[in-house]
Amino acid sequence: MLGLSIDYLSWRGQRISALRNVSMELPAGKVLGVLGESGSGKSTLSRAILQLLPANAEVSSGSIGFHQDKDLLSLTRQQMRAIRGAGIALISQEPALALNPVLTIGQQISDVLRAHRSVSKQEAMQQTTAMLREVGFPEPDRLLQAYPHQLSGGQRQRAAIAQALICRPDLLIADEPLSALDTITQVEILEVLHKLKDELGLAVIFITQNAWAISGLADELVVMRDGGVVAVGKFEELARSTDEYVRGLIFPEKSFQNQVSKPLQRAEPGSAPLLRVQQLSKKFLQRHLFSGKKFAVQALRGISFEIPEGSTIAIIGRSGSGKSTLARCIAGFEKADEGGVLVHGAPVRGPQPHVQLIFQDAGTALNPSFTAEELISEPMEIAGQGTARERRERVLSLMREVGLDPESARRHAGEFSGGQKQRLALARALATNPALLILDESLSGLDLLLQAKMLKLLLDLQKSHGLSYLHICHDLNFIGLFANEVIVMDEGRVVERVTPAELPSSTQPATRALMDAGSRLHAPGLEAVL
Amino acid sequence: MTRYLIRRLLQALLLLAAVSVLLFALMQAAPGDYLSEQRLAGHMSPEAMQALRAKYGLDQTFAVRYFRWIASLSHGELGYSVSYNEPALQLLLPRVRNTLLLTLPALLISWFIGVPLGVLAASRRGGWLDRIFAAGNGFLLALPDVLLCLIALLIALKTQRFPAGGMSSPDLSDAAATVRMKDLIWHLWLPVAVLVIGALAPIMLHVRSSVAEVMDSTYFRAAEGHGLRPFTLLFRHALPAAANPLISLFGLSIAFLLSTSLVVEVILSWPGLGPMLLEAVMARDVFVVLGSVVFSTLFLVAGNFFADVLLYVFDPRIRVQS
Repeated sequence: MLGLSIDYLSWRGQRISALRNVSMELPAGKVLGVLGESGSGKSTLSRAILQLLPANAEVSSGSIGFHQDKDLLSLTRQQMRAIRGAGIALISQEPALALNPVLTIGQQISDVLRAHRSVSKQEAMQQTTAMLREVGFPEPDRLLQAYPHQLSGGQRQRAAIAQALICRPDLLIADEPLSALDTITQVEILEVLHKLKDELGLAVIFITQNAWAISGLADELVVMRDGGVVAVGKFEELARSTDEYVRGLIFPEKSFQNQVSKPLQRAEPGSAPLLRVQQLSKKFLQRHLFSGKKFAVQALRGISFEIPEGSTIAIIGRSGSGKSTLARCIAGFEKADEGGVLVHGAPVRGPQPHVQLIFQDAGTALNPSFTAEELISEPMEIAGQGTARERRERVLSLMREVGLDPESARRHAGEFSGGQKQRLALARALATNPALLILDESLSGLDLLLQAKMLKLLLDLQKSHGLSYLHICHDLNFIGLFANEVIVMDEGRVVERVTPAELPSSTQPATRALMDAGSRLHAPGLEAVL
Repeated sequence: MTRYLIRRLLQALLLLAAVSVLLFALMQAAPGDYLSEQRLAGHMSPEAMQALRAKYGLDQTFAVRYFRWIASLSHGELGYSVSYNEPALQLLLPRVRNTLLLTLPALLISWFIGVPLGVLAASRRGGWLDRIFAAGNGFLLALPDVLLCLIALLIALKTQRFPAGGMSSPDLSDAAATVRMKDLIWHLWLPVAVLVIGALAPIMLHVRSSVAEVMDSTYFRAAEGHGLRPFTLLFRHALPAAANPLISLFGLSIAFLLSTSLVVEVILSWPGLGPMLLEAVMARDVFVVLGSVVFSTLFLVAGNFFADVLLYVFDPRIRVQS
């Protein structure tokens, strides 16, 4: 790729530069890591290679060579279609969204094969089965008939990998294939990619914001910022870089190094804890994947714990360990089958102003047609707090507190970036002066640098507002730096409750699995406790 | 599958029963009946009126009359038409058949044309073809059915190639079946065309918007990135994913066609339910009105039931939930 520049034309007629003079080279069979914060042009790059740019994008200069001589940009539509999937394949960010919900896995994979090779239906299915086995499905025959919603996130990502590699392409573009998965699954997917790369002699462009995750895989890394390449080199070289931006990407935890967590202040005996969860149980009815039989999923099995005021407790566990159900029960969105939740000694019977939940994906949890001001003042209106004028003043002060420009109060939620939306969600949650804030993987959609900034903000707010946090996460990023204590969950149970410093010496298998995966991915901030 | 279908079927039957009670009550609530209409003519003494009322059972309570009405279905009557002096069901059945002859082809043809055109418009979003389609749809939506019927009549008169109404030519009653069939199709042309043109625009617009939505999705872009052929992409990947709201619309489009066909039948003198309903309303022929509306409801409920079955077949998510 030589001197590639791409502009987006906005609907107001402005040109927004997405890529500026980007050049990079990737020899066959090698792995190139592309590192950068969100908005640095990484995804535009991947779409440009496959020529899947949106209609308002314009390539203003440069060329993309593939193999000896071809310039992909000068190919016809037909020629380009023949290369997509067969020569260059793509796996995208969200495994949940990358597969068609109404077609079976078998159909979706074999369709790709049949688009490029003239094989019979039966042959296509045989090859699909073989490919599914290669990506690590022990019983691929049954999977052929399964629909995406019947699979877990990790299984879907494997299926997407099988779909991408069925035609044995020479180049695989992996656009943040790990970011939506839990730590343990991330390691599994990385291993699958590693294995397949060696077996198939694949060249890989691995786009990520977590440098450590691909440090063992990538032969070379390219660091991008604002659409341009700012550094190129091996991981070890970049780790020694003195450039502030590069260091920030590789060591995001450095941005709040000074705030290593302190052990929890135990509440005085006799005083009621802020939150008391007693023997909470909850089950859901589901249907079995293949036989169609109904069975109960025990999401929570007798969970009990207490948290004192002013504390930050992290709840970690794999996807499906019951963390989100627990959060919804505590926030009063879901009724438990057994047991109860007490806040300040009073039972929780429904959503209430002093317990606020921030959802996993702020982008979809905020109505895009509401303005920032409407969004933040809505909870106050519902709770009947203050006059219109007082509410407006509070909105503006909250926006300042979470680091948003109060000038943008009249902008619509859809116009804010991912990180800003998360701040907006935070301001909205703080509007009713809650005592407890539940963060249900609220940061996992942000890049590591933004996660670090948000955590710093949360810690600052904790001091000024006397807040408590219940921070639910599926990875171990920064865990040593913000949590007073860690509750490990597995299969609906509390496995153990320890301080972050005690995590490495834990003997519980569930904790060990998380810790192993976390250290293999070099979760930032984990080193602080190791 | 069977449990889902049985539940849907029971729901449909319940709906039909509820509609029939409501209809019956509404008809009773309207002042006057066939006899009072006759009395206005001034030929009848109050005593004779009373006797006739008793004869027709009009002096009974609501519940008794309702159940008699429903019970009469068991011997194939569904009430009695006072103006035709015939059981209502026997009057209605040939009319129902004629209406179906008109609306079913119109339904199928409008979907067979509308779906590919909608997909085509979605795949050329923002292009000149899409804009032409959008303009055409806007024009069609603004066109009243009555005007379309009149245009059809005009075409029939000017070109002399199509019949100006009715569903069969005179003196063909003892012709061969194939000849009569051809004659029927010849008569179907214009009314079906009017119905199709009237139904096409909403179908196209809905297909276009739901397919366009799928085309914005991550999985569609991913499939595009795998180099699938445009035809496979659009019809095998996008259309099934977009089908859900369209199938519901399919059920509803039957209702739309029925209401349009009412107008079409009257103007193009097609001997379906439409003209009969109109006459019966004028004459206060209660059971014929009731019967026509019950049959219309039946079509509608059947259409929605069919849509539910299709939904079950096409959407794996519903299949698993149910």
